[in-house]
Amino acid sequence: MAAPQSAQVLDGRDLYQHRCGMCHQGIGMAVSLLSRRPGDTSNGLLEQRKDLAVEFVTTVTRTGIGNMPRIPRGEVSDPEMKAIATYLAKGGQ
Amino acid sequence: MDRTLPPGLSASQLDAALKEFGRAIGDEWVLATDLDRDTYLDHFAVDEAAHAPSAAVAPLTAEQVQQVLRIANQHKVPLWPISRGKNFGYGGAAPLLKGSVVLDLSRMRKIEFDAENGVALVEPGVGFYDLYDYIQQNKLPYWTSVPGNSWGSVLGNALDRGVGYTTYGEHTARLCGLEVVLPSGELMRTGMGAMSDSPTWNLYRYGFGPSWDQMFVQSNLGVVTKAGVWLMPAPESMIGLDLELDNAEDLGWAVDVVAAMRRDGLLQQSPSIGSWLRGAAVLTSRKEWYDKPGALPDEVIAAIRKRFNIGWWSISLRLYGYEPVNEAAAKIIQAQFAKQTKKPMTVTRWKQGEPLNPSPGQAAFAGVPITFPLANAAWHGGRGGHLGYSPVLPANGQAALEQFHRTYDRYREFGMDYHGSFAMGERCIVNVNQVLFNKDDADMMARVGQFFRALVADATEKRYGEYRTHIDYMDLVAGSYDFNDHALRRANETIKDALDPNGILAPGKSGIWPERYRSLRK
Repeated sequence: MAAPQSAQVLDGRDLYQHRCGMCHQGIGMAVSLLSRRPGDTSNGLLEQRKDLAVEFVTTVTRTGIGNMPRIPRGEVSDPEMKAIATYLAKGGQ
Repeated sequence: MDRTLPPGLSASQLDAALKEFGRAIGDEWVLATDLDRDTYLDHFAVDEAAHAPSAAVAPLTAEQVQQVLRIANQHKVPLWPISRGKNFGYGGAAPLLKGSVVLDLSRMRKIEFDAENGVALVEPGVGFYDLYDYIQQNKLPYWTSVPGNSWGSVLGNALDRGVGYTTYGEHTARLCGLEVVLPSGELMRTGMGAMSDSPTWNLYRYGFGPSWDQMFVQSNLGVVTKAGVWLMPAPESMIGLDLELDNAEDLGWAVDVVAAMRRDGLLQQSPSIGSWLRGAAVLTSRKEWYDKPGALPDEVIAAIRKRFNIGWWSISLRLYGYEPVNEAAAKIIQAQFAKQTKKPMTVTRWKQGEPLNPSPGQAAFAGVPITFPLANAAWHGGRGGHLGYSPVLPANGQAALEQFHRTYDRYREFGMDYHGSFAMGERCIVNVNQVLFNKDDADMMARVGQFFRALVADATEKRYGEYRTHIDYMDLVAGSYDFNDHALRRANETIKDALDPNGILAPGKSGIWPERYRSLRK
């Protein structure tokens, strides 16, 4: 498991899976909670959302939202966060 | 807003230390902006500000941890080590002592695996998902044991005496051999690891002379940078035996039946007898059921049980290993339960070769990491959280029933929804109760502290101690361990002062205060 370095090209999809997937994929806590929200059309999956901007993802990840705790830079560095947010902003492309 | 600082240190003194940390580990890994500080607050805290850090540092290697500790000694900066900081309900990433610098080890993610012996040697940043993925990718014939929140660290969970659901669920008991940076900055290995290049470091627990692995569990005497963790060989078969108990009073006989099979070894896993709210709080919100304050009334409890088709208590037993052995054990277990209830147990069977695609509720029994139980923090709506109240009782049905009634009455007295479970150990019960709350409900939050103290007082009166607690209550719980006027605490603090004369490492953790800060004990 190579730790992503800022010098390397960061793979947003891979990072999303390894840093966020425990809650935001499969049977994760966030999938369960988001899918219960009125009007949800993405089955609680962020990768299916079309309304996520890079700035929004970055801000709520660092400040926390609802049941989601704040994610420190020790866990997800700024370059990693940018790659993840960009991946989500492109609708998981 | 005033900047948060360690007690007795000026901003310029802290800045001088941070600068040196940066020289040792790289400036980019000294995390000291206002936003950085906030990211290490306890998401579930009743009062987040009470445990605000002054900064965080995130080293990558044991050598860097050594350097950080040496610098902290020079500058008298208190550090609060975290593995991944996901110990929700117990403080998360936040330090007990306000102004401490968080020592964030989540970048240390190395895994070494001894496939012959089934031992993983992991660093603190390795999460349960990381270890599970590693085993899957390398097609290793082993299962992980995971806790209900598997977001956290394998090593960190074992060091806090966290538990899982398989026969390897007592995680701290599966530790074998630690690498530790002592408060002085010296690197040490425990057990057989004290012999350099020993091939049995992670195979024999004790070494020669005193054995120190547990000295670094729930303690503040060193920073563990590597731990050997034994894993369960993938079983040939798994059999599930589930039972719904209709009446609250059924807890008594159920405890006695399970206690006997834990004692004689028929059942190797630690089942938990849990109340009706356990599933409901994960899958639904309170407002779907009831819109008034105060504990849920009996008719609502009945409606919840009806919808989910569950008992007042649910119990799930699991057998792992060779198929004929499991089948024989299952037969004896069913016969023991049949002496007490006409209700048959629900039996599920899995064996090697069949697909292992457990439903969410079954995943943890198969060692598959999960996070969905954390959804229970959203039970009340608003910004949720929970606290754990977990006294240890004798494995006795009458004792369990009495403790249940005492606790249930307290929940109702304080207008909180009961969420209890009784985890059956080999000789004891760990009675884990969750206090679910809504941080946006000022009235409820004003009751939480008083409620928790009343619960601890009730347990203490019966001479039951908590096995683990939130950073807000470490002094309270440590204070209840009072034999010979707190002789254990005196011993702990004598050792603390000897190993950590500057008191830099996790002051106050588990009620152990170094001399420098001892006056801060609550």
